[in-house]
Amino acid sequence: MSANKSEVLQGTLDMMILKTLHALGPLHGFGIARRIEQVSEDVLKLNEGTVYTSLLRLQQQGWIESEWGLSENNRRARFYSITKQGRKQLAVETESWERISGVIGRVLSLEAEK
Amino acid sequence: MTTWIFRFVSRVRGLFGQKQADSEFDLETQTHLQLLTEQFIRQGMDSKDAYSAAHRQFGNTTLLRQRHRESRTFLSFSTVFQDVRYGLRVLGKSPGFTAIAVASLALAIGANAAIFSLAKGLLFDRLHVAQADQLRMLRWTQDQHSAVSGMWGDFEPAPDGQGMLGSVFSSPVYRQLQAHNQVMQDLFAYKEDGMNATISGNAQRAHVAMVSGNYFNVLGAQPQLGRAIQPTDDALPGAGAVAVISAGVWEREFGRSPAVLGQTITVNQTPLTIVGVNPRGFTGAKNTHDSPDLFVPLSMQPVIDPNGKNGSLLNDSELWWLNIVGRAKPGIPDAQVQAALDVELAAATRATITVKSGETVPRLVLADGSRGLNYAARMFRKPAYVLLTLTGFVLLLACANIANLLLARGAQRQREMSVRLALGAGRMRVLRQLLTESLLLAGIGGAGGLLLGYLGRNAIPRLMSNGWRSTFDVPMDWEVFAFAAAVTLLTGLIFGLAPAWLTARTEVSSSLKENALTTTRRRKGLGGKAIVGFQIALSTLLVVGAGLFLRTLWALDSVDIGFRTDHLILFEVSPPVKRYGPGKDVQLHQRLEQGFAAIPGVEGVTTGLSAYIANNMDNSDFLVEGEDPAAHQRDPQDMNAVGNTFFATMGIPIIGGRSFGPQDTGTSEKVGVINQALAKERFPHMNPVGKRFKTGHDWVRVVGVCGDNRFLNLRDAPPPQFFVPWVQMPEVGRLTYAIRTQLAPGVLTPVLRQVAQQVDRDLPLAELRTQREQIDETMQTERMFGVLTAGFGVLALALACVGIYGVMAYSVADRRNEIGIRMALGAQPGQLRRMILRESTSLAIVGIVAGVGAALGLTRLVKTMLYGIQSWDPATMIGGVLTLLAVALAASWIPARRAAGVQPMEALRHE
Repeated sequence: MSANKSEVLQGTLDMMILKTLHALGPLHGFGIARRIEQVSEDVLKLNEGTVYTSLLRLQQQGWIESEWGLSENNRRARFYSITKQGRKQLAVETESWERISGVIGRVLSLEAEK
Repeated sequence: MTTWIFRFVSRVRGLFGQKQADSEFDLETQTHLQLLTEQFIRQGMDSKDAYSAAHRQFGNTTLLRQRHRESRTFLSFSTVFQDVRYGLRVLGKSPGFTAIAVASLALAIGANAAIFSLAKGLLFDRLHVAQADQLRMLRWTQDQHSAVSGMWGDFEPAPDGQGMLGSVFSSPVYRQLQAHNQVMQDLFAYKEDGMNATISGNAQRAHVAMVSGNYFNVLGAQPQLGRAIQPTDDALPGAGAVAVISAGVWEREFGRSPAVLGQTITVNQTPLTIVGVNPRGFTGAKNTHDSPDLFVPLSMQPVIDPNGKNGSLLNDSELWWLNIVGRAKPGIPDAQVQAALDVELAAATRATITVKSGETVPRLVLADGSRGLNYAARMFRKPAYVLLTLTGFVLLLACANIANLLLARGAQRQREMSVRLALGAGRMRVLRQLLTESLLLAGIGGAGGLLLGYLGRNAIPRLMSNGWRSTFDVPMDWEVFAFAAAVTLLTGLIFGLAPAWLTARTEVSSSLKENALTTTRRRKGLGGKAIVGFQIALSTLLVVGAGLFLRTLWALDSVDIGFRTDHLILFEVSPPVKRYGPGKDVQLHQRLEQGFAAIPGVEGVTTGLSAYIANNMDNSDFLVEGEDPAAHQRDPQDMNAVGNTFFATMGIPIIGGRSFGPQDTGTSEKVGVINQALAKERFPHMNPVGKRFKTGHDWVRVVGVCGDNRFLNLRDAPPPQFFVPWVQMPEVGRLTYAIRTQLAPGVLTPVLRQVAQQVDRDLPLAELRTQREQIDETMQTERMFGVLTAGFGVLALALACVGIYGVMAYSVADRRNEIGIRMALGAQPGQLRRMILRESTSLAIVGIVAGVGAALGLTRLVKTMLYGIQSWDPATMIGGVLTLLAVALAASWIPARRAAGVQPMEALRHE
């Protein structure tokens, strides 16, 4: 493993998956993993198996739902899609993330000015 | 909140369809891996590299599946099974710990279940009839000036010290109360008495209840066979020759044969027809634990149990003898009932007896009738409460022990837990493992407790009864068992989980590091030490208690009774009044005495009114010639009416004058012997021999003075007492025979019975026992306390021993490094040993001081139960302290030796 990859921040994977499903519509696990890989431009180190743990958790909370379907090359796969509640949750989490990251960003820039 | 509910619901759903969810998940991961592999191949890897790269990027599939399975639902059974298996292995690996923990649990649960069942039975059991709580018993209080003087039944000094409290009424008063009663449902009356009965050919002493015709009806009792006593049976005096027998008699004498109905039994020579058999568990209205053998109509009293001036008590206003019970009417408060019945009682009393001016009438008291006369509760209340307290202490001690053991063990296993956490075990998983172990331990202990409780339940009533009377049944009380089990199990869970919780919360790395780095003593052991201190204090209390009761037992065993108690067989003979009227009974007893004396191997035969040391006594008025009658009017003296050979057979020395002899007959001058105590009290500074005293209507000449002997029991000092020969009494009735012989009772008994039957075929020898058995029975409370408290004391010592050992062993193991460094720096093994012993001794001293303090406060409460010693008996206190100290030293000896044997290099290299 290369040393310059960052660990996925705890709890952020759920948010990323929710956002991915929100942006792209129903996807299977492999698709979600690819999408996150693509967007992160290989900066994030992701154990792809943990995507499924996250998916199970989101489903138990009622934020996503799933159904079986056929993938692009005709394989049976489970497709996940975001629910109404999931959208609400995403809005809440996005807002709080932006607030926190804004604060952290300001603090860090303060330090840089000095 | 809602998300929590969602998660919960989906987990509940997860409980079902496990298999399908598993295979779906497998399919999902397989697809993912294949797609990933294909992508890598497209990027130019060869298929083998692509496959392993895909797996690397995906992560551990097995672990993932396990995680999914666990978060899908609550617990997976495979891991529970794993926990149990591992738990059993852990328990098996430290058999000492397991045995001690299980034994403490079992003993505490068992002892509590047994004693609480017993006490509950004795104190709180109600009569086995429907709605027993409605039953009310009529009682009364009266002062010294009461017009009522003739009493046959129970009465006692009133609790407030003013006058007497009793519960017997005359038959005319009963009938008047019953007729005028508006405030209760119907009132019934009964009288229980011992009578001679021949049942199914066996002459025996039977416990008979004479009951009014409405007795069964008001109690709501229905015989299991045949019919009950009915109002028509009780209609005419002397009529109604029927009997209902108890379930016990039916079993014992008739082998539960249905043909028992219509058979004839004789009670005091009167034939009665059996008409019914009571159900098991029915004990009548008087007792909660044993039933009268026979129930007969009250109308039979003049025939089977004549008493009073003309035999019949049914119209006798002078003698008060009937117990009255009724059911409360719903909605009428007891106070109102009592007030109304009090008015009726006063009216009935004045209507039936003459009340002179200055005399008073009894005041009615409405008492709870749901437990009958409640003898057992009144007799055993204090001992039962003391025993309950002691078992409570034992339970507390066992809980402390479990807590202590589990705390020490939890601390010892902290490293193991850290390692497991470091290797990736979830926190919940570690907690669950410890919970499983605690539950296993508790389960095994609980099973042991159930077994012990069951055995104890059978053994303890035996301690409280005696060889020649039947024991009473104590049902196992499941509520009590559940309570004791719950308390101990809860203790186990709390103290088993507390260390686990702490471990699971600590950071893995810090705990692992800490163990390596800490060499000095930490304050972590403090919880354990406080518990051990508490244990030692409780043990001191229990050991001191055991000491006091054992010393009481020994003191009582070694008192000088005043007569020879060895090789003495006792039994009772009651000639039925109908066959043996006044004068005839004297002849019968003479013939019996001669018959028994002629048996080879019998060294002496004598008779008295009652056995000594049997909580039984007779007394009579006593006035020395020349004394002022008014001064001694209410000052009766204990007395006995005896046979000629009484003093020689009993071994009571004649100190002055002579004993009774053949020259004393029914027609010669009335003679008496007095004991030294009476001589000292009533004949001070003179020789009483030749003086006269008056008892009853007779003047009696003192012919001898004898030694003193104990009368009621072993506790009370020998009372003043006088003796008269029963041959000079107009009638004697029941006598107690005492046979001095070297033969075993089992050998002699059939011969005695044979001799008695030659004189009268229907004459039973009742209550056959030795004098020693009689003493044991009278002192059974003391005996039981000695045995049980000694048992508790030993148990307490064992538990304290385990506690001290556990804490010190843990302390030594924990301080291995410190000890190693001390040794490396030049400490001698002896010094280290002393260091450990000093630590345990100071712990013990703190506990002992607290315990002795508590003991000094609490033992005062049992002062009246002790004999021959003070409640602060110094010997017992010092003995208790020394025992505890010795136990503390012994228990810490092995850990101390282990500390002294630590090899410094090994200890330091260990980490």
